[in-house]
Amino acid sequence: MELKPATPNERRQYYREEWDVKNVPDFIRNTLIQREFGFDHIGRGPNDRYRVFRNSDDLRKFMRVRTPFAAYSSVAFYNNPKRRGGWLKAELVFDVDAKDIPIRSCGCDNVCEICLNQAKDIVMGLLDTLQGDLGLKNINVVYSGRGYHIRVLDDAVMAMDSDVRSQIVKYLVGADVPRSEYSSHGMKYNLEHFTIPFGYPQVFTHRVKQALLNLTLDTEIDDVSKDIKKAVIKHRELLYDDQWGIFRKAIGPVRYARLVKGIASLNLTLVDAKVSIDLKRILRLPSSLHSGVSMKSTLIKNLETFDPFQNAVPKFVYERDDK
Amino acid sequence: MVSISFLNPLSPEGKDIVRELGSFDGISQDIPELRRLVTRNPSQEIVADEEIPSNYLELALKRIEWYVKKKNDREFNSRRYSFLSDQDITKYDVISFYLLCQSIGVKFGPNSRETRVMVEAQGDLVQERLGKLSLQEGRLMVDQSLQLLLKGDTVHWTFFQELLSTRKIRLTELVLDQGELVLNQEDFIDRFGSRIKHRNPSSMYQLLIGDELKELLMVKMIMQETEDYIKQVHEKARIMVEPNPILLELAEEVAKILAEPMQSYGYGSGRGGSGPMKAGPLNSQAFPPCVKKALEGIKSGGRNDAIVLFMTPFVSYARLYPDVFRMNLSKRVSDQDPQLEITEKEILPLIYEAAQRCVPPLFEDQPQEKVNINAKLGFGMHSELKMEHEGETTWYTPMSCEKIKLHLPHLCRPDDVCKKIGNPLSYYNRMLWEVRTLKKADDSGSTTASAENSSEGVGDDNDSPGKDGTTPDKPGEA
Ligand code: SF4
Ligand SMILES: [Zn+2]
Repeated sequence: MELKPATPNERRQYYREEWDVKNVPDFIRNTLIQREFGFDHIGRGPNDRYRVFRNSDDLRKFMRVRTPFAAYSSVAFYNNPKRRGGWLKAELVFDVDAKDIPIRSCGCDNVCEICLNQAKDIVMGLLDTLQGDLGLKNINVVYSGRGYHIRVLDDAVMAMDSDVRSQIVKYLVGADVPRSEYSSHGMKYNLEHFTIPFGYPQVFTHRVKQALLNLTLDTEIDDVSKDIKKAVIKHRELLYDDQWGIFRKAIGPVRYARLVKGIASLNLTLVDAKVSIDLKRILRLPSSLHSGVSMKSTLIKNLETFDPFQNAVPKFVYERDDK
Repeated sequence: MVSISFLNPLSPEGKDIVRELGSFDGISQDIPELRRLVTRNPSQEIVADEEIPSNYLELALKRIEWYVKKKNDREFNSRRYSFLSDQDITKYDVISFYLLCQSIGVKFGPNSRETRVMVEAQGDLVQERLGKLSLQEGRLMVDQSLQLLLKGDTVHWTFFQELLSTRKIRLTELVLDQGELVLNQEDFIDRFGSRIKHRNPSSMYQLLIGDELKELLMVKMIMQETEDYIKQVHEKARIMVEPNPILLELAEEVAKILAEPMQSYGYGSGRGGSGPMKAGPLNSQAFPPCVKKALEGIKSGGRNDAIVLFMTPFVSYARLYPDVFRMNLSKRVSDQDPQLEITEKEILPLIYEAAQRCVPPLFEDQPQEKVNINAKLGFGMHSELKMEHEGETTWYTPMSCEKIKLHLPHLCRPDDVCKKIGNPLSYYNRMLWEVRTLKKADDSGSTTASAENSSEGVGDDNDSPGKDGTTPDKPGEA
C-alpha cells in the first residue's frame, strides 16, 4: 500500500463520514477542558494553537467544519489552557517514529511495513520496562501515523520535571553502558551487563541485543569500524540463545567495549527525547487523520495484534482510483 | 556508639542538639573542651596554634577549608584535619553545620556557589567519616540513617524525584523491580534469586547493592537535605527582619576561603621549569592553526560542530583553566569564574564572533545553537547562563587532535608544533610557555634551551574529566 498524502477532498470525506468524536480516547475527552489544542490547516506545521474546547461537542463541530490537515492536543494539563497558564502536570510521552529508528533494516525513505514493525518491537520493549522496572500504570499506546506514541498518565510521574524525564528516557532506551566493575570488601570484580539478569543492566542487554540483531554494515556507529561490524554480523547468531560471553570473546573485549558504547549512544535516538522532556508539547490527536501519509492516528487496544495497514487505513484510501 | 547526627546533623538527634543550645548568642566564645579534643587526637597534626579551632565559628570554617584544600591544594595534608573525623566533636560539629547552612542561606541563597560547596563538602565529609568506622559500625550507621531517611520499608523510585532531578543520583544506578527500589538482601533474593544462574545470589547482592549503593543513597540524601535546609533558611530570611550579624560575618569568611584557590593553589606554585599555566587573558598568537581557522569562520559544512563542539570548549578552557589536563581535576566554569563575568564578557563574545563569521552566520538559521553552547559550558540546555543550572551538563573538555582530524578535517593544518602535542589546548599552553621563556631569555640576555613543557597530561583526550556521555537533551548537531 502506498503511503501518499490525502487531498483536501479526502480529508473532508474523512471528517464528515468516518470520524466520530467518540473515537477520541477517554483519557483525552475526560480532560478536554484542561488541554490546549493545536491545528495545522494547510500542511506546514501547527500554527493555529492555544485553542480550547468546552466539551466534546464543540470539538466535533470544529473538526467537521474545518477538516484540518492535522490535529493535536497538549500532553499538559492547565488551569488556563487558552494561555498555557497554570501548568498542572503533563503526560509522560515517548515518540517512536519509524522513520527515525537508528538501525533500520528496511532502507526505505519514508515508512514501510518493515520499519513500522520494528517500531512496534521497540515499543513492546519500552512498555516492558515502563511496567516492569518502573512499575508505572495507566499507559496508552497510540499509532501516530508514522510510528507510535506511548502516553503515560500515571500520577506518580505526571508532575515530574524535564530532568527526571530525561533520566527515565535514558533508563528506558539503554543509553548508558552499565558499569562493569564492582567492588566488595576491597576486592574488585568484573560483571558484564549480560551477566546481570535484572534491573537496568538487563534492560541494557535487551536493547543492545535488538540493535545488534538489526545491524548492517552501513549502520554508522561512533568509533565502531567496519571490521567490528563485520565481526558482529558473523557471530551474532550466538545472541539468539544469549551466548554473550562467547560473543564478546569472538569480538574481542576491547572492541566489544567500544561497540556497546557506540550502541548506547545510538540507543538514545530510539525515542525522540525532545518530545519526552517537553512539558508543554502538543501531540497528534488520536482518531485524527495523518494527512501526510493518509493514515488514522489510532488508540491501540491490543498491540500484539495491531496492524496499521488493517486498523489505521481510512476508507477513502480504498476508494482511490489508482489503487 | 557513633551518633547519627555525626553523619546527618539534620536528623532528629541533630535537631535536639541545636535546640539544647537555644540561641546563637555567645557563639563566638571560646570552648576549651573543643580545643582539648582537637589537640588530644593522636593522628592530628598541628603546625601552629591558630590552626586549632576554638569555637563554633572557627570549626565551621575549618569544615569548608578542609574541602577547598582537599580539592585544590596539591600539598594537602589530611592529618591537619583529623579532628573532623573524630566522633567526639559531634556536638560542636552539628552546631557548626547549622551555622554554615544558615549563614550561606541568608547571605547567598540556594543557587549560589557557596551552597554548592557546602552541600558537596557535607557529602564528602560524611564519606570520610564513614570510611574511618569499622565495617560493622559503618553498616549499622548506614542502615539506621537510611531507615530514618526513607521512612518505610518499600520505596517507590519516584520518592527520589528530587535527587534524580538534581542529578545527584542516576536512575540507572538504582536496582528497581515493579517500581520499587530493592535495597535489602532478603528482598533481593526473593525477587531475583531464581533468575540468577552460575552465581551465588547473596554475593551478587553484595556486589550490586551491598554497602556501596546504600552508602551512595545515604550520602546523596543527606546532601539533598542540606540543600533543602539552606533553601528553607533563605526563604525564611527573606520575610524576616535583620539577619544575625554573626551569620553575615561567617558568610564573608566562607566566601574568602572559596576565593583562595583562584589565587594560591594550582597556579604559579612552580613545578619543574614550566610551572602550571595561569589562567589569564587569551593570547591569540599562541592559538594552534585549527583554532585560528575556526576563528575566521567556517565557510562550508560543519559550522555547528566547529563552533559548539570545538571552539566553545577550547576558548573557555584556554581562558579559564588551561591546565585542565595536567591538573586532571574536573571543575566547573564557576570554580574559575565565580561571577561568570569573564565568561560573559570575553569567552562568549569570542565564540559568537566566530559564529557570526560563518557562512551563512550560524545563529541566523540555527539560533538554538546558543543553548548548545551554554550546555557545553556546563549550564544545561537553557537560553541563559544561570548559576542554578550549572552542573546539569558537563563542561566539555577540548577535543583531541585525533578527534578533530576525524570530525572536522578541514580545520586541521598542522605545523611543526603540532607534532609534539595531542590536543589543541596543549599546543596553546606550550606556545604560551615558549613565548614566556623566550621573553625571559631576552630580558636576561641568555639564550633559551629546549621547550620542555609537559602540559599534556594523562587525560589528553576529549573524554577527560567527568564526561557525562550524551544526554537525551543533547542537541541535534546537524
Ligand atoms: S594537529 Fe591538532 S592542534 Fe594542530 S592543527 Fe591539527 S588539530 Fe589543531
Ligand atoms: Zn521502512
